[in-house]
Amino acid sequence: MTLSILYFGMIAEATGQPLETWHSLDAMTVGDLKNDLLEKYPVLRDRKFQIAINQQIADESFPIPPLAQVALLPPFAGG
Amino acid sequence: MGHKPKKVFVEGPISPQFVAESIAKHQSKTSIGAHNIFLGQIRADAKVGGVVTGIEYSAYPEMAEQIFHQIREAAFAQYELTCLHIYHSLGLVPTGEISLFVFVSSPHRRATFEALEFLVEEIKAKVPIFGKELLGNEGDFAWKENT
Repeated sequence: MTLSILYFGMIAEATGQPLETWHSLDAMTVGDLKNDLLEKYPVLRDRKFQIAINQQIADESFPIPPLAQVALLPPFAGG
Repeated sequence: MGHKPKKVFVEGPISPQFVAESIAKHQSKTSIGAHNIFLGQIRADAKVGGVVTGIEYSAYPEMAEQIFHQIREAAFAQYELTCLHIYHSLGLVPTGEISLFVFVSSPHRRATFEALEFLVEEIKAKVPIFGKELLGNEGDFAWKENT
């Protein structure tokens, strides 16, 4: 399946890009994707972030639907 | 539940004139007996790397607009409000300027105190807005984190 992944704030700084397209042969949960991302970007191990799937915060057991928009969200700082 | 989603984000600081004009626009709504306003201002905190000179805000706009809408609907459901407005800056807001403007109006004061606190706390906790604190004059920065 193909996902678009958005990076924000300190996470975009760590990955060096604001978005990328991610291909996977297998179905994935949020936890699976997180492990793959930490492997590609070891620097993310030291950063706090949540993952949103199609604009909703999802926990690690959540199965990612095909063509989902994934977002890695660092701590919020509004106000 | 049927309030129209509203535009929240404004580019750069929120001016005192904008706040004043927002107040003036409510003079025709004569069921209102109380307004309450929260203004978030950028503080010159001293950090490793220098004093904060401003915050550069960014957001995940599609998600942020949805969350703002949910927060608004929750406030209307919980409190007796006539109207409610939220504005938040994107881009650079220098120290001393306003980055968040929350404005609630009700027939009576009690609802405005409670709704305002609810709204500000919800916004800080739930909306995907990110802040880069610019430090000193040499290009240092730190990422802000709400606590």
